[in-house]
Amino acid sequence: MKIELLKKIIEKKEKKMEFAIITNLENGEGCVFEKDKLLDKSFEKYKDKIMSQFAKKKNGIIEGTNIFVECYIRPIKVIVVGAVHIAQYLISFAKSLNFEILIIDPRGYFASEQRFPGVKVINKWPDEAFAEIKTDQNTALIALTHDPKIDDPALRHALKKDFFYIGALGSKKTHANRCARLKESGFTKEQINKIFGPIGIKLGGKSAPEIALSIISQLVSVVYKK
Amino acid sequence: MKNSFDEKILDEARDWLSSKQNVVLATVIQTWGSSPRQVGSRMIVNDKGDFSGSVSGGCVETAVVRECLGLLKEKKPFKKIEFKVSNESAWEVGLACGGEIAIFLEQIN
Repeated sequence: MKIELLKKIIEKKEKKMEFAIITNLENGEGCVFEKDKLLDKSFEKYKDKIMSQFAKKKNGIIEGTNIFVECYIRPIKVIVVGAVHIAQYLISFAKSLNFEILIIDPRGYFASEQRFPGVKVINKWPDEAFAEIKTDQNTALIALTHDPKIDDPALRHALKKDFFYIGALGSKKTHANRCARLKESGFTKEQINKIFGPIGIKLGGKSAPEIALSIISQLVSVVYKK
Repeated sequence: MKNSFDEKILDEARDWLSSKQNVVLATVIQTWGSSPRQVGSRMIVNDKGDFSGSVSGGCVETAVVRECLGLLKEKKPFKKIEFKVSNESAWEVGLACGGEIAIFLEQIN
C-alpha cells in the first residue's frame, strides 16, 4: 500500500465518509472506491462487482477474482445529553467503538472543553442544539441529566425522529414520571416504550464507569439487533 | 443497522511511518470455519518486530510477525499467507479454534 493511499483512507475516515478500500491481491495495487466517483483505471473492469459488494457492505474477496474489498460505513451518531461524570467515561468507550459523539448541555460549567477535550460539545438547550445537528434513524440518544427541563425536549426530538436507540438515566420512579409527561405531550405508549429506562443493561455496578459500560453495552447490542 | 466498529490500526500505521519506521500491514482477507477475527481485521508490524492489532486470537500473530520481517528483509512488496490447523507447524502456531485464515501482507511505502 502506498502512503498516499493510507493518508487518503484516514482522511475519509475522519470525515465520516462511506467508501471502500479495493486491493488487487495479485499485484498489490490498491485504491479507494466511492459511490458515484470514477475508479482507478486498473480496477475499471471490476466496477459492477465492486459496486454490488459495496451495496451489501460486505468485506471480502469478490468471487472469481483477486480483488479484495473492505467497506467503511458512516459511524453511528450518538448524542449525549448531559456533560456529566458518566458522559466522560461514555466518551472513552464510544471512541474505541468508533461512534461519532456529540454532547449537549446548556450548563456552561459542565460543558467545558477542559472536561471533554476533542469532543464536540454544544453548550445550548436541546431544542436549539438539535436545530444545528442532522439526525435520523441512525442516531442514538443517551439522556443523562435526569432533569426534565433538559432531557425531555431531547427525548421528544428523538421520538419524533425515530432514533434507533433512546435511553434515559433515572430510577424506575423517575422513568415512570417521565413516561407520564411524554404521554401528556401526545406520544403513544408504543413510542414511549421504545425508550430504554432505566438506561443500561443490568451489570450491578453503581460507579460512573460501570454505568457508562452498561449503557454502551446496551447500545452495541441494539446496533446488532437491528 | 450497521456501524463501522473500526479499529485505529491504520491511524497507528501512519504514526509509525511518520517516525521513520518500516511498516507491514497484515489484513485478514478470507476465513473458513470458526476463526476468531473477521475478514478485514488488521495488524501492523515494524522492522523491530513490534506489532499492534490482531488477525487471530493470539494463535498466529507470532508467525505473522516473522513473515512480515521476512517480507521487509527480502524487500518484497506483498505476500499472501494462509494458516490451517493441518499445517506442518500446527504444533507451534496453528489455529486452536479449528478455523483457517488467509492473510494479505503488504509494505506501506
